[in-house]
Amino acid sequence: MLAESIPGRLRPLTILQLGWRNLRRNRRRTWITATTVALAVLLVQVAVSLLIGIEQQSFDNLINYQTAHAKLYAEGYFANRDELPLDYTLTGLDELQATIRGVRGVAATTPRLSFSAQVSNGVDLYACIGVGIQVTGSDHDVFRIPQAVVDGEYLKSGEDGLLMGTGLAELFGVDTGDWVTVLTKTQAGAYEALDLPIVGLVGTGNPLIDRNSFLVPLEIAQYMLGLEGAATELAIRFSPTARDDETIAEITRAVQDLRQLDVKGWREMEEDFMALVRVKRTGQGVFLLIFIVLAVVGITNTILMASFERTREIGMMMAMGLRGSGIRELFLTEGALTGLLGGALGSLVAVAITAYFATVGLDLTAMYGDMDIGYPVKDTIYPAVNIAVLVASWLLTGVLAALASFYPAARASRHIPVEALRHV
Amino acid sequence: MTVARLIDVHKTYMVGRVRVPAVRGVTLDIEHGAFMSIAGPSGSGKTTILNLLGALDTPTSGTVQIGDGTTDGLSLKTLADFRNTHLGFVFQTFNLIPVLTVRENVDFPLQLQGIGNKRERNERVMKILQEVGLGDLVDRRPTELSGGQQQRVAVARALVKGPRLVLADEPTANLDSETAGEIMALMQMMNEKHGTTFIFSTHDPLVMERASRLVRLHDGRVASDEGGNGGRHAS
Ligand SMILES: Nc1ncnc2c1ncn2[C@@H]1O[C@H](COP(=O)(O)OP(=O)(O)O)[C@@H](O)[C@H]1O
Ligand SMILES: [Mg+2]
Repeated sequence: MLAESIPGRLRPLTILQLGWRNLRRNRRRTWITATTVALAVLLVQVAVSLLIGIEQQSFDNLINYQTAHAKLYAEGYFANRDELPLDYTLTGLDELQATIRGVRGVAATTPRLSFSAQVSNGVDLYACIGVGIQVTGSDHDVFRIPQAVVDGEYLKSGEDGLLMGTGLAELFGVDTGDWVTVLTKTQAGAYEALDLPIVGLVGTGNPLIDRNSFLVPLEIAQYMLGLEGAATELAIRFSPTARDDETIAEITRAVQDLRQLDVKGWREMEEDFMALVRVKRTGQGVFLLIFIVLAVVGITNTILMASFERTREIGMMMAMGLRGSGIRELFLTEGALTGLLGGALGSLVAVAITAYFATVGLDLTAMYGDMDIGYPVKDTIYPAVNIAVLVASWLLTGVLAALASFYPAARASRHIPVEALRHV
Repeated sequence: MTVARLIDVHKTYMVGRVRVPAVRGVTLDIEHGAFMSIAGPSGSGKTTILNLLGALDTPTSGTVQIGDGTTDGLSLKTLADFRNTHLGFVFQTFNLIPVLTVRENVDFPLQLQGIGNKRERNERVMKILQEVGLGDLVDRRPTELSGGQQQRVAVARALVKGPRLVLADEPTANLDSETAGEIMALMQMMNEKHGTTFIFSTHDPLVMERASRLVRLHDGRVASDEGGNGGRHAS
């Protein structure tokens, strides 16, 4: 009878139109629900971009000041690294460095000699971590210590002196220019003491360095420890385009015939921190999930109420021949539109906030003060507005809102027309 | 020719464990082109009979024939499709969709029939709205119309798809007597002009007067069945 007929269905545009206009039927309720969604979206977007920013910043910090991209150790060192042992050292450094520099993906390499020491200002004595760094030539090719010198200046080759973490200097009550005594024990077990001037202070935002460490020229460290020509590690920086895993594998292959050596990537060195990052992500996720659930429940409730109020209208539409599936589409659309409305609102505010901090920067010290927030960061964060992520999360909000409307929509679609029409 | 037929139809509702017989053995033939009134006091079964004839409900026993088919054992979806293709409804409380304009309300059943061509739909909508005298109010919302005007829209909505049968359950009960008369006159005019079969329920004697056939119900049974004065003569 009817050519190419789709009986019992409305045209998609009509469904959208009905959904949109029905949103305005109870404006107050729509706004309340949309605002809940907007808040959830805003919170998720700001929290996630902040979290990603802080994580990225702290990974950069670790790589720039502590772990480099990878380190090469003598076998046995890594397992005992917390004790800063001197029993597993690397020698023949020039030859080793030359080998590693030849590996594809490696940008630079430098030897370091880490040791435990006691430092005294003449009154107090504290246990600290000393790090001997190669001042000329290579340490600043791998690490970014010069950028972290907040007072005084960087070390000079052949000159006595040390760089002290800002937190440690505060603890001692010393400043650039003051002298301290460094006490070490050589590998053979003899004590060695040396008076050194503080040439500068380093503030990296990384508590391990700022609060516990001092840096001296490699030759001084070697001399104090009686380890001429030796280092505890060879730190390696990768070129920006290198893939971490591949480069580590290449280095391992390059050195495997030389000696008993261990190559460790920065993620492996910082397993505990990575675990902490995952815990924090989960914590944030749970926190955000609560808001998402609130928004979902808000939509479910709103659509449920709307379908109750419109029972007779549903009956009338069904009497005219609209199938249950058509009723379902109407309410799903209304829910999705509520979600998209709230999502748009929340995203707009999120963009405004992100764009603002993208230009002025988000000063973490202003936010947290000197408090240890568990991430090694100090710098200002510049969050970026990512349009693709924004649009994707907006659409996702619509999908989630449609899912939230599924139960009330299905309920409405199961009405028996006579009974719905009888409803007052 | 018969448009619809009830054969020994019973409808019993269960209220908890109590059986409420609403229709008790009704047999009726409805001829094509009838302008038929179902009258009776409140609770006599008028709405139930209209629902059965409107494929909105199925009988407890007996047969409901509409056109060539019966509603026996049809699923809710098939019943919906059946109503969509063959039947029009006018309700006591107008029941327009408040967020749609007059034009969009009347367009609704045409969309349900899957008529994709917007021009065609619009022509039919405008034509029927002219006929019911609302050609100037097509872009108004129902809330901007009087009760009588809303019921005119409802009549247009029921008729726009050219149904075999229009069912109107107390279409004038919410209107003052003058407006009620106008709506009855409109439906009568449509009945005469297009030959559409109308069945309406009422307990208003002024409305019954206009019917070509008057069926009186009492306690779910047909108490009397007689030709009236008005309407197009049944064929
Ligand atoms: N869904 C229902 N459930 C229980 N009883 C009903 C239901 N619908 C109608 N009835 C009963 O059936 C009888 C007839 O009702 P109805 O057809 O609505 O009469 P009318 O339209 O003439 O007032 C009444 O006693 C009414 O209470
Ligand atoms: Mg009734």
